[in-house]
Amino acid sequence: MTINLRALVDPTQESGVPGGAALLEFSEAVIGPDRERLDAARDVLALTLSPAAVSGAAAIAGNFSKNDRIANACGIPVDSIVMNITEDIRADLGLNDFRSAINTFKYM
Amino acid sequence: MALYADSAYPVRKDLEAVHEKQLAQFGVAGAWGSGAQRLAVARETRDAGIDAGIYEAPDDPGPPNENDLPHAAKKVIHKLTVAPKEFVEDSYDEALAGGLSDAEFVEMVGIVARITAIDVFSRGIGVPLRPLPEPQPGLPSRKRPQAAVQEQAFPPTIPNPPDGGREAEELYGKQPKPYIVRGLSLVPDELRMHVEQEQVQYLPMGKILQPQYQHHDGLSRAQAEIVAGRVSALNECFF
Repeated sequence: MTINLRALVDPTQESGVPGGAALLEFSEAVIGPDRERLDAARDVLALTLSPAAVSGAAAIAGNFSKNDRIANACGIPVDSIVMNITEDIRADLGLNDFRSAINTFKYM
Repeated sequence: MALYADSAYPVRKDLEAVHEKQLAQFGVAGAWGSGAQRLAVARETRDAGIDAGIYEAPDDPGPPNENDLPHAAKKVIHKLTVAPKEFVEDSYDEALAGGLSDAEFVEMVGIVARITAIDVFSRGIGVPLRPLPEPQPGLPSRKRPQAAVQEQAFPPTIPNPPDGGREAEELYGKQPKPYIVRGLSLVPDELRMHVEQEQVQYLPMGKILQPQYQHHDGLSRAQAEIVAGRVSALNECFF
C-alpha cells in the first residue's frame, strides 16, 4: 500500500488508505464546532469501516488532542534522530511553517 | 453502570476503566493542586470548549465549581483549549510572570490535556461529556523531583538515564524516552497518567515501532495514523 501523506494537510487528496476520506473527515469534524458535520462524519465512518472504527478513531483523536497540547504548552523539541529521518516529509507537508516548529529549530 | 454504557459504539474495557479512574482522580489532591483546584481546571477547560462551540454542554456537568482560578491560569487554559497552535514560549513566560510556578503550570497542562482527551472521545462516540466528580479532601504533596533541570522544553524536565538518576529510571525505565513522554516529568504523576491514557487511546508504547501492530478493532495501523496525523496537522503540532 502506498500512503499519500499530503492528504494529512490537504484532505481533498486521496490518502491511499482504505476508508481514508471518511477518517480524515471524522478527524476534522470531531475537533471542530459543527455538530451536524460530526454526526454525519460518524455515520459515514461506521458505514464505510465499522462501528468499532468510530470508537477507535475517537480514542486516537482524543489522544492526539492531548499530545498536541502537551507538546505546544511545554515547548518540547522534536528529538534529533526523528528530525534527521523526517526532513523531506516535513518540507513537503509544510510542517516547518507551524509556529511550534521554532521549539525545535532554535536548538539546531 | 459502565462509564460508556450509553454508547452506540463498542468501547474497549481498558479505555473505559482508565477514563473512569482518571475522571475520579481529577477530584483528588495532586502534587500542587487540591482536589477542588484540579477540578476547577478541568471545569474551566470544558467551559472554554463549550463557549467556543467545540463541545456541547452536558445536562449533568457534575457539582458546580466553587474555586476561582487565578487569571494567569484561566489564560493558559483558554489558549490551550481553543487555540493550542497559538501557545508559544511567550505564553509560558506570561503564565510564570502572572504568578504560576513552573510545576503548577505543568500539572495544569496535564489536566487540560487529559480532560481534553476524554471529552474528545465522548464527543467522537456521540455521548454527552461525562460528569465531573465531587472534590475530595486532602493536601497537595508538593514534591518536586530533585533530578529536574532546565533542558530544551519550556519547563524543567527530568533527563533521561543516566543523567536523571534514580528518578529517571523509575519514570522512564532504562531506555531513553523522547520529549513527548518527558515533557510533564516535573510532575511525575501527571506524566504517568498521560502515558496511561496513551497506552489505551493510541497504543502501548512498546508497540510503537511495530508498523503492523493493530490496537483498535476495525482500524489498521495505517488508518490509525491517518487520524493521528490529521488531528496534529489541524492543531499545527510540529511534533
